[in-house]
Amino acid sequence: MKAVVLIALAACNGMDRGPHERAAGHAKPVDGGTLRYATKDRVVSLDPAIAYDETSSYAVHALHDTLVDYAPAVRGDPHSGTDIVPHLAERYEVSPDGLTYHFWLRPGIAFSDGTPIVAADFVYALDRVRAKPDSPYAQFLVDVAAITTPVQNELVFQLARPNMAFLAILTMSFTTPLRPNTELATGPFVLERWDQGRRLIVKKNPRYWDAASIHLDRLELIENVPRDVQFLMFERGELDAAERLSAADYLWITERQDWAPYVQHRTAMNAFGSRMNVTQPPFDDRRVRQALNYAVDKDHEVKLLEGAAVISHGILPPGMFGRDDALTPYPHDPAKARALLAEAGHPNGLDLEYVVLADEEAMRLAESVKSDLAEVGVRIRITPMSFAAYATAIGSKSGPAFSKGVQLADFADPVDFFDLRFASSEIHDQSSNNDSFYANPELDRILAAARAEPDRNERAALYQSAERILYADAPWIWEYHQDVTEVTQPYVAGYAIHPIWLRDFSRSWLDR
Amino acid sequence: MAREAQRFFANRGAVVGTVLICILLAIVGARPLLSAKSPDALNIDHGLTLRGAPLPPSAESPLGTDDLGRDVWARIVAGAATSLEIACLATLLALVIGLTVGLVAGYAGGWVDHALMRLVDLVLAFPFLLLAILLASLLREADLASSIAPVVVTLGAVSWTTIARVIRGKAMAVSRSEMIVAARALGASPARIIARHVLPNLAGTAIVMAAIGFAQNLLSEAVLSYLGLGPATTTWGHMLFEGRAYYRTAPWLVIAPGVAILVAVIAFNLVGDGLRDAFDPKEST
Repeated sequence: MKAVVLIALAACNGMDRGPHERAAGHAKPVDGGTLRYATKDRVVSLDPAIAYDETSSYAVHALHDTLVDYAPAVRGDPHSGTDIVPHLAERYEVSPDGLTYHFWLRPGIAFSDGTPIVAADFVYALDRVRAKPDSPYAQFLVDVAAITTPVQNELVFQLARPNMAFLAILTMSFTTPLRPNTELATGPFVLERWDQGRRLIVKKNPRYWDAASIHLDRLELIENVPRDVQFLMFERGELDAAERLSAADYLWITERQDWAPYVQHRTAMNAFGSRMNVTQPPFDDRRVRQALNYAVDKDHEVKLLEGAAVISHGILPPGMFGRDDALTPYPHDPAKARALLAEAGHPNGLDLEYVVLADEEAMRLAESVKSDLAEVGVRIRITPMSFAAYATAIGSKSGPAFSKGVQLADFADPVDFFDLRFASSEIHDQSSNNDSFYANPELDRILAAARAEPDRNERAALYQSAERILYADAPWIWEYHQDVTEVTQPYVAGYAIHPIWLRDFSRSWLDR
Repeated sequence: MAREAQRFFANRGAVVGTVLICILLAIVGARPLLSAKSPDALNIDHGLTLRGAPLPPSAESPLGTDDLGRDVWARIVAGAATSLEIACLATLLALVIGLTVGLVAGYAGGWVDHALMRLVDLVLAFPFLLLAILLASLLREADLASSIAPVVVTLGAVSWTTIARVIRGKAMAVSRSEMIVAARALGASPARIIARHVLPNLAGTAIVMAAIGFAQNLLSEAVLSYLGLGPATTTWGHMLFEGRAYYRTAPWLVIAPGVAILVAVIAFNLVGDGLRDAFDPKEST
């Protein structure tokens, strides 16, 4: 019976599945309405000191503003959205030695209940992050020696050593001002209700300093909806936007003339590959890691991602400051891979376990990696894991040694990609950020120097040398940087995928 | 027996079903000859369009390719073997449990019968799919996921109840017959009576139950695989599951396994009906 139903479904091919509604064509933004979108994961936490995953960040960023933030993204401009602009601060000054950051708060800013925001509220929030053992953000404040408030509306950070990424670090939501025991918002929206694991609704915050730019009444985020279901809901008009479509839906919609204008692509700040624990055999031998880099055919993965990805040579995504675009990715060379494996003492290949996220796209890509590695005698067993299990397992030094590696930008600076992932100071037995457990004193020295280097060209040169070291030492199989895609209903206006925040609908409006 | 065979082959549906099953078995048997391609070999370079879409049916791939460039025909053929193997083993398991429980309950009667039938009620009270999903998930945890054992055990464990009920009824009737009373009076042991006299009288019923159960198991396997609870190897249900998202762009990914399941289930149902009519003409409709 099931088979008959499916065949009948397939026969419905000819049905018109174009957009149901058109844009009304208003010249100026219209206020009001609820924008509905969904994610395949759940919102883990709304505490800005705790929330670290992508889905939680959609909600946290809508509720909490910071001293500085990125400019909004502009559709069609691949460089937009990375400039840092003042938000809760009106202006700031950095001392010539790079050690003092002085912020003047914007006059009249208030929490969602009308209480004025003062500099002490920032200090409270940052002290709270540093005191919370389960906050993943304390690491970003290691260079801060002191935070002072000379007057009520001025905030001064004194750094122990220069950190060129410090301004970018202050864009992260954990730096938002807070009051003890309250859930006051400082962002464009306030929380209306949250049925955990099901849906989260936020409504417009009239006290927001930039409330004039916020047109939507509400944002509704529906949790735990698989990608293919998201797309079906989107087609039925139950969602206003659907992200990262499954391969089948993406292939279908990009061939439709009527949908084409509403599909967005954007190179986002991410890196994907296969991360190896370099302290565990056989990955403690660099030749094995290089062999795997030669063995995987990245063209296969890019094709399975419908071409919406570029092959990587390292962790830094295209367009990121400090990336050496002249470095060529490892070519697909099975003969060389076999030779390196034989040299490393594995002439008969290897048997390995490969941990991936239990997601349809990840599983398809893993099949491709498996088939490429089999060609050089490396037999892998794919173990799918939920996001939570995966995150715990690969952050553990004795955990699975070989897994899918994912790096999504927390902020737009190489510090986020290099220091967090490959500096030896980020190695811990559990919850290790450096999850390849790669330790190299020379790289540590270069990264420390680059972090403090005020000259932009010098700094870029240092990161390029870091890229070369990691390229040769290969703690990951460097695979690809994936574009982010999203389709919106024709009446969704003023929306562009943001390179860091990804789905920021705060400045969108409904043209109907 | 000859009369039953005659009745069976006079039934047009049963003959069609038998022919279809023979074709199916021939396909499974001649697997290596029918498709030179491996069902699991990825062909991302040539088995997908430039944009990464599956290829439609062609001379190269008679049923097209799937989302990893694998040959759909090769997978249908490989899936036939796995799907039939699972259905066959699950039916055998259900038959063994169902026959044992039914015979013991029907022959012994009394509290044994009561206890066993309440167990059957308990299993039947659970919605079939819910129980199957629960069992399949639990068995998967036991790290057998790559083999077909969890699915076989799941299907066997949920489908024996009908067999047990029917067999119990028949066994009860047979054990009250004069022939059994006579055997008892002559001092035959219960084991001997069951083996020599009760069981042969139930053979026809058991065969009919098995044929219909087989079709049911084939379908249930497809449902479990579709829900992602099947074996990791290629089965028709799994192919349907993998291809479902492509029903618009590459409909052959659902049509091929869908038709395969449909044909196989109809074939076994036709044979089952034919057998029932042949063995028990009074019950035919």
